Amino acid sequence: MLSFIGRSVIQKTITLFFVSIVSFLIIHLAPGKPSQVNPMNPKFTPEILERFQKEFHLDKPLYVQYLYFYRGLFTGQTVSWKDNQSVFSKIWGRFLNSLPLFIVGTLITWTLSFPVGIRSAIYRGGIYDRTTTFLSYLLISIPGFFFAYVLIIFVVNHFHVPVIGMETFGIANSSIPHMIMDRIWHLLLPSVLGATGGIAILSRYVRSQMLEVEGQDYIRTAKAKGLPPDQVHYKHAFRNALLPFVTMFGLILPGLIGGSVIIETIFSWPGMGRMAYDAILARDYPVILTVNFVSAVLVLAGTFVSDLLYLVVDPRIRL
Amino acid sequence: MDKRPKSHGTPLLRVENLKVYFQGDGKRARAVDGISYEVHQKQTVCIVGESGCGKTVSALSILGLIPSPPGEIVSGKIFFSGQDLLKLDEKTMQNIRGNQIAMVFQEPLTSLNPVFTIGDQLGEAVSTHKSMGAESLKRYMIQLLSDVGIPSPEQRLNDYPHQLSGGQRQRVMIAMALSCDPDLMIADEPTTALDVTVQAQILELLRSIQQKRSMAILYISHDLGVVSAIAHWIYVMYAGIMAEQGNSDQIFRSPRHPYTQGLLASLPSLSKRGKRLYSIPGSVPNPAYKPTGCPFHPRCPHTISTCRKEYPNMCDYGHGHMARCPVLYEKREHTE
Amino acid sequence: MNPGENHIDAPDYIEAPLAPKHTRMQEFGRMLKQNRLAALGFFIFVLFFLCAVTGLILTSGTKPLFNPAMVRLEEKLRPPLSKPNLQALRPDQVPVLNVYLMGTDDLGRDVFARMLQGAWVSLTVGFVAVGISVFIGIFMGGIAGYFGQHHIKAIHILFFLCLIGGIGLVLINAVFAGTALLLLCLSSIVFLLSARDKLPEKTLPAWKGILLGNAVSVDTLIMRIVDIMLCFPSFFLILTVVALLPASIYNIMIVIGLTSWMGTTRFVRAEFLSLREQDFVAAAKALGIGNFRIIFRHIMPNAVAPVLVSATIGIATAILTEAGLSFLGFGVPPPHATWGNILSDGKNFIFDAPWLTFIPGIAILIVVLSFNLFGEGLRDILNPKLRERH
Repeated sequence: MLSFIGRSVIQKTITLFFVSIVSFLIIHLAPGKPSQVNPMNPKFTPEILERFQKEFHLDKPLYVQYLYFYRGLFTGQTVSWKDNQSVFSKIWGRFLNSLPLFIVGTLITWTLSFPVGIRSAIYRGGIYDRTTTFLSYLLISIPGFFFAYVLIIFVVNHFHVPVIGMETFGIANSSIPHMIMDRIWHLLLPSVLGATGGIAILSRYVRSQMLEVEGQDYIRTAKAKGLPPDQVHYKHAFRNALLPFVTMFGLILPGLIGGSVIIETIFSWPGMGRMAYDAILARDYPVILTVNFVSAVLVLAGTFVSDLLYLVVDPRIRL
Repeated sequence: MDKRPKSHGTPLLRVENLKVYFQGDGKRARAVDGISYEVHQKQTVCIVGESGCGKTVSALSILGLIPSPPGEIVSGKIFFSGQDLLKLDEKTMQNIRGNQIAMVFQEPLTSLNPVFTIGDQLGEAVSTHKSMGAESLKRYMIQLLSDVGIPSPEQRLNDYPHQLSGGQRQRVMIAMALSCDPDLMIADEPTTALDVTVQAQILELLRSIQQKRSMAILYISHDLGVVSAIAHWIYVMYAGIMAEQGNSDQIFRSPRHPYTQGLLASLPSLSKRGKRLYSIPGSVPNPAYKPTGCPFHPRCPHTISTCRKEYPNMCDYGHGHMARCPVLYEKREHTE
Repeated sequence: MNPGENHIDAPDYIEAPLAPKHTRMQEFGRMLKQNRLAALGFFIFVLFFLCAVTGLILTSGTKPLFNPAMVRLEEKLRPPLSKPNLQALRPDQVPVLNVYLMGTDDLGRDVFARMLQGAWVSLTVGFVAVGISVFIGIFMGGIAGYFGQHHIKAIHILFFLCLIGGIGLVLINAVFAGTALLLLCLSSIVFLLSARDKLPEKTLPAWKGILLGNAVSVDTLIMRIVDIMLCFPSFFLILTVVALLPASIYNIMIVIGLTSWMGTTRFVRAEFLSLREQDFVAAAKALGIGNFRIIFRHIMPNAVAPVLVSATIGIATAILTEAGLSFLGFGVPPPHATWGNILSDGKNFIFDAPWLTFIPGIAILIVVLSFNLFGEGLRDILNPKLRERH
């Protein structure tokens, strides 16, 4: 057990090291320099440019830049090129904004997909199954921002609730229940949108897992024992079908960053994805790299957690 | 191993003209095509046949476990202690499954749920049909496991299936089947996946259990050797129909159906040393594309023109020995 | 009594197949008939393909029938099916059918012509991106699965790192460091050549032993690369690279392709691993057939089914990704119309000219849906194990 954890941590550290190199190379070898972002800007006189380059070690060879950057990252001193703020405090602030969106979205996804998937697996081929199958394909296939606009139009026209941003502008003076309702309205639409794709994919996956398991011999054994169908489906089948989802559970963490760019942009939600997008626009390398690094850490941590969870839930795996 | 007991009374299980068809790819596969058989109390009845001839399907349909959509019981009756199982509702069937009729499956490796302990699965089988306190349940389970010959049963209760050997898992399956003292145990090739030595142990176990508990066993196998060792009564199945029935003596000494004759001829034995082993030409027809007339006629050495057209009748040879081959029946009349 | 002795000749039809044989195509047609959604998907897919081809023909050339780039500022934001105002337009500006089938956009361009052109561009983006990812995926997965047990020596890794690093450094004008690395790379070749003669290995000094020792297996190496690639949040990575590179339709295709091969690699590897152990491969090897032929003639046809399925669904995903990039302003740049950028341009007029949003949006929805349905249907057709479960 301990040796597994040790090996896993070492392996993931090595992976992380390579990720850091690759992302650094991608950013720095791509044509275009941050100093060229706005050559017309009168503030960017050659002297300032030089000072700028010196300050951020842009005049040094690439590997020295790499060392400087990751030294800064690990000592927490990295600052954004754009506004000289600490990258970590920026990310933390945005992270707190993204968190409710992420939590609500994930909750909706996981609480809806499982009942839907299980039900359509049990009644496969029936009306319910066919309807949900078609609906989930529909949701997978719709371009996210198109769907978002359709929903926004619908909500704005029918409920007369403005839904852009985290709260309605100037609402701070109104009563507390009103504020809470307003917050919920603003949270609801983006998180539902963020969840739709997930629901569609996850429920399909739940369905196919359940079908896979329902065909196994031990399900027949359970039925031959005379167990009621509920116990057969929800105890014997579901428990086995659940195993692969432990892996997926580890992979939802990175969704905090990558998945939300478009939705946060549409709803002007000041979250992580939106920040990353702005950083890309401004070629704010420290922010881009840090976001990338953090998300790689999240991915690796997620897989690590899911490996550990697998040990717990699958008795066949013993170390 | 002797003649069928004369004092039949009503049989424990009587299957009448059972037809199970599978629908798929626009074709209808006639997996079980009108079979009838009986199992009397305290008897071991064997159904023999090549793989794919509908043995398992006929067993599963007794418990109502035919997977449907594709499968469907088209017609027939299955009487168990006087009631027709096919007319019962799901709730009553659940009460019969595992309680009055238990089943042991072919693959002990995959028939136990990998994520629950032996104790969980065994206890579940018991507590579904009986109410028992936790303490007495545990004692009962330990008793069951030692009955089926599992060493140190107390520790095995907390083991997961993958920690046991194949033979031990099959013993657990048998313990599970025995847990509610069923009147009938269906054993679907319980020894096929096991080593020959383990196979002998399991057979011995089944035999001793049957003597102790006086229950009936419906034993399904493709292995004539196994069958000859345990059967009181034998049914030979071919392509969804019953080809021949009789006791061991009748079937093994004087088989009356070309298929049974072929099966026996293809058994290796010391007297056939050095000779080429016989094999029945061809293979079992796909249930969706069965030949007309007698389903065995394409592989039969005695085929005459009527075999291709007419579905053969059962011919009675006396003492319950019957075979579905009028050709040989007539030949017998002339020669004897 | 023993029938073996009076064995008569078996009738011919015994040896007939158990079930009538179908060719793959017959099977395919039959399955399509049963899986109506997949059939619908296939139908729309073919229709879309024809649209894209006719669109390409009708909208390209110097004097296209439908001119997607024709700007008519007087006629902007006209709803669908409206008639052009003939007085305001020069004769060559009048749309072909004398009607704006799908209206006009904010520059008065004919949306129908733009949709026709965009169909081809969207299709190309999807196909090329998926082509790249499938190619890399099969290549990497095939190597990992088939040659996975082979080991790479430390010296080889050193050699390649030096080579790539050296070339890279020379390319970014760090000539000195680059040349140094290339020299190191050269010396490693010399070392390798010299070491080859000097067997037995026992006498080698420790450092040479390490350099010539097995470092990692091919399989491990490739799967670690896959792990590294999976650490990047894919859409964010695509966005970053596309934003940094000069805007061009080719860059988008290449970047989408280069960032989506990991899934294909994984299951091609799994497929190869299991197929490699099968008897027919052993038989082929026993016949002395070369690795190359075994891979392409014997294993590949068996592994191609899941690739085909994921490619079909991959095209759908690529079209959606392109639309998402367009929305964020990093899509295919202006001279090309794609459904993605028509849609994202339309979002600014969503209340005044909803057709600019709804026409491309629904078109993308239908096409992507058809790809997904067809892909899933294909999975059922090609995977007999799953067939009875659906």
